[in-house]
Amino acid sequence: MAEIPQSRAPNPKSDTPVPVWRLLPRQHLALALGLVAAVVISRFSGSIDAYLVDVAIGIGINVILAVSLNLVNGHTGQFSLGHAGFMSVGAYLAAACTVFAGPRLLGAAPGPLAHNLLFFGALLIGGLGAAFAGLLVGIPSLRLKGDYLALVTLGFGEIIRVIFQNVEVLGGALGFNGVPAYTDFAWAYGWGVLTIFTVSCLVNSTYGRGFIATHDNEIAAQSIGLDTTRYKTVAFAVGAFFAGVAGGLFAHLKLSIDPRGFDFTRSIEIVVMVILGGMGNTLGVILAAVLLTILPEILRPVAEYRMVLYSLLLIILMITRPQGLLNFRFGKTRL
Amino acid sequence: MTEFLQQLINGLSLGAIYALLALGYTMVYGVLRFINFAHADVFMVGSFAGYYLGRLVPGGTLWGGLAVLAAAMIACALLGVLIERLAYRPLRGGPTLNVLITAIGVSLLLQYSGQIIFGATPRTFPQLFPVAQFHLGRVGISSNQIVVIVVAPLLIAGLQLVVFKTRMGMAMRAVSLNLKAAQLVGVNINTVISFTFALGSALAAAGGILYSMNYPSIDPLMGVMPGLKAFTAAILGGIGSLPGAALGGLILGGAETFVGGSQFSTYKDAIAFGILIVILLLRPAGLLGRWTAEKI
Amino acid sequence: MPPLLQLHQATIRFGGLTAVNTVDFAIAEGSLCGLIGPNGAGKTTVFNLITGVYAPTHGRITFAGHDLAGKKVHEVAALGIGRTFQNIRLFDRLSVFDNVRVACNRHRATGPLQTLVRLRAFRDDEAAVSRRAEELLEMFNLLRFRDTPATCLPYGEQRRLEIVRALATRPRLLLLDEPAAGMNPSEKADLVRLIRHIHREFGLTILLVEHSMRVVMGVCQTIAVLDHGMKIAEGTPAEIRQNRKVIDAYLGEEHAPLKAE
Ligand SMILES: Nc1ncnc2c1ncn2[C@@H]1O[C@H](COP(=O)(O)OP(=O)(O)OP(=O)(O)O)[C@@H](O)[C@H]1O
Ligand SMILES: [Mg+2]
Repeated sequence: MAEIPQSRAPNPKSDTPVPVWRLLPRQHLALALGLVAAVVISRFSGSIDAYLVDVAIGIGINVILAVSLNLVNGHTGQFSLGHAGFMSVGAYLAAACTVFAGPRLLGAAPGPLAHNLLFFGALLIGGLGAAFAGLLVGIPSLRLKGDYLALVTLGFGEIIRVIFQNVEVLGGALGFNGVPAYTDFAWAYGWGVLTIFTVSCLVNSTYGRGFIATHDNEIAAQSIGLDTTRYKTVAFAVGAFFAGVAGGLFAHLKLSIDPRGFDFTRSIEIVVMVILGGMGNTLGVILAAVLLTILPEILRPVAEYRMVLYSLLLIILMITRPQGLLNFRFGKTRL
Repeated sequence: MTEFLQQLINGLSLGAIYALLALGYTMVYGVLRFINFAHADVFMVGSFAGYYLGRLVPGGTLWGGLAVLAAAMIACALLGVLIERLAYRPLRGGPTLNVLITAIGVSLLLQYSGQIIFGATPRTFPQLFPVAQFHLGRVGISSNQIVVIVVAPLLIAGLQLVVFKTRMGMAMRAVSLNLKAAQLVGVNINTVISFTFALGSALAAAGGILYSMNYPSIDPLMGVMPGLKAFTAAILGGIGSLPGAALGGLILGGAETFVGGSQFSTYKDAIAFGILIVILLLRPAGLLGRWTAEKI
Repeated sequence: MPPLLQLHQATIRFGGLTAVNTVDFAIAEGSLCGLIGPNGAGKTTVFNLITGVYAPTHGRITFAGHDLAGKKVHEVAALGIGRTFQNIRLFDRLSVFDNVRVACNRHRATGPLQTLVRLRAFRDDEAAVSRRAEELLEMFNLLRFRDTPATCLPYGEQRRLEIVRALATRPRLLLLDEPAAGMNPSEKADLVRLIRHIHREFGLTILLVEHSMRVVMGVCQTIAVLDHGMKIAEGTPAEIRQNRKVIDAYLGEEHAPLKAE
């Protein structure tokens, strides 16, 4: 067809279809930088107040949870209330790896490298186990919509919890203790960076726009040839994978896990981060995860009223800023 | 056999309570299409209302019990209307997710204000109605269970009368069929919705008191599990369907009692969710519900 | 040559209502056909049957030698059927540009893994997709809205964007559901030109549902008429205009020879 130079003039970048910085795998550069930064900062964490480091690691874990759930809830529009359930699968699997298989694999005098490798392997297994659970839940239930999907995922999360309460080797209802303290700043933020990298690479591509298309209009997405079930399943599995990893990190941070720590209020906390950040807006979701991890710490002095304030805030936010507190992409005009 | 009959009676009285609670979920879903998570906490408030009001009347009398029941129902009806007015109305027509989260927020608010007002430690629910234990052969039935088995069906029948024999009931049915159309033909939907919340919350209060009579340890988080189960019952019966909610409640109460009495008792709480998942996957419209396809 | 699309006795019931009733209908490759009928006649339902949104209660639909029975919507699309919707269905979270780019997925082999690895080939492929999307937007005069959110477009442009999006999947058969709805006469004239243009340029087969007689009579080579789910007539525009049944059921007396707007 005819090339009309003038019409391109207002848009000089249009020869290169996406901005240049996206054409170079800048994502990989950012990923490498992020990983290095996580390790370097971690070196200095010894000189920082232990409480602050703890909070910071908690933030890292919540960022992983929120960003991964954002792929499912925010981008793909699948309302999952089971993220804590997937987290618990990862937590228990990873902890079981380091507690039961660890001593046998490590031998008598393990070096730091051996420990790190073991932990990495354990997290990977935790993540894959959670992803598998995600597929198990997702494949039958993803044809349900909205509230109903939320309920099925909630139900699965609760069933997973009841099962863990009944597995005696894993501590049953009393909780699983004696998990080694592997999680440090570098691990939490390394995985945090990897989660952000994965989700943004997935979504910012011709393939990945299918997630958003699935969310916006499923029938239209199918009519242009997108297998929306496939998209939802991928989102679910990837989301569950990172939830599992976050669970593994959590277990090796708290050193003892309890099925009740992964009930549906935990899932809701993560959902709230996603909504607050503005569904599908990665930066907003990260900020929301940070904010909502710090908030309870700040409210610690008024511990009794903490949850009351939290719930009031939730209601007021939903009413006054339904598009998310931190979502400025589309102003008020769009609502 | 006696074992079976005993479980049946226990299951029936638990099921009747789930049914009362399920009706509230189903009614609200019918008119507004959302899951009112806070309903379970209205149930809790109803129970505490019974606890405090129970001090004002002589315990163990029939009229005293009924008076407390009625007063708690009225109090919770007002609470329900208030919740709808303040939290849900501003979001009406908003995205499902936001409405659902708001409902969860209200639920958390009630639970944690409850912990501050009533204290987090469990309390013992007083004896409101006369106490007695009857025996039919080796099967035991308490007067409290009898109260449940009598009061719950009466309330459900009363609800049916309201919904099918009054103008307001007709308006409710119209709104649940098509909110916009009902509005166009002059139904005041705000009134209808407030009324729906009042009815549902009153039933929840009754459920709370009846539940606490049989499981007399009450605390601000007591609504969570019965709430989830009653909701499952509503889905099982077909959300939006009143007889469905009643049927679902009975099935769920029965199933739970029987599993609780078996060797799998530790999985009791998983039963409701198992049923929920199976029903949603196999027959999302529920047993008595109708499934409407989206028009393209 | 066998027809590109063929409906044999296609029937669908919704409860007691037979929305499409034993319809036989064939479209030859390269033709431009119209499907008309009063409101509720079942035109959109025919589209939904063809595209696999609904499964027929009875009857069979074949496309390019494939039996469409049991095929999912995206599988039908992958065989080469593109469509637009009567009630516009754009992706509102995506820009105009991305609405078109996402539709280019059908001919790509990239999956989730490639988006993470981002090899040279992947990036070239992404660039090619973007180029193609821009070419299409330019051809339909939508390039100036490139980065606007799709739902912020004027109504007529939204309808055109839906056509562009369908074309981006490179269909062999394009189904247009009331593309002229809500357009003024000059926009309709543009639309007629546009439909003729894409029919020629892309070598497409087009099936058009439309209430505007000016558009239908202006572009279609053959027209089928539905009423109460039944096909009551089929023929050239001139024949349809004269057809007694069509005049009674749909066109009305005063429009009989020449339906004005
Ligand atoms: N999913 C459905 N469930 C029940 N009835 C349906 C469904 N889809 C369509 N119908 C009914 O089928 C009939 C045909 O509808 P259809 O939308 O195909 O008409 P149409 O010819 O496209 O009309 P219009 O010109 O108004 O677009 C209508 O009576 C409609 O109500
Ligand atoms: Mg139509």
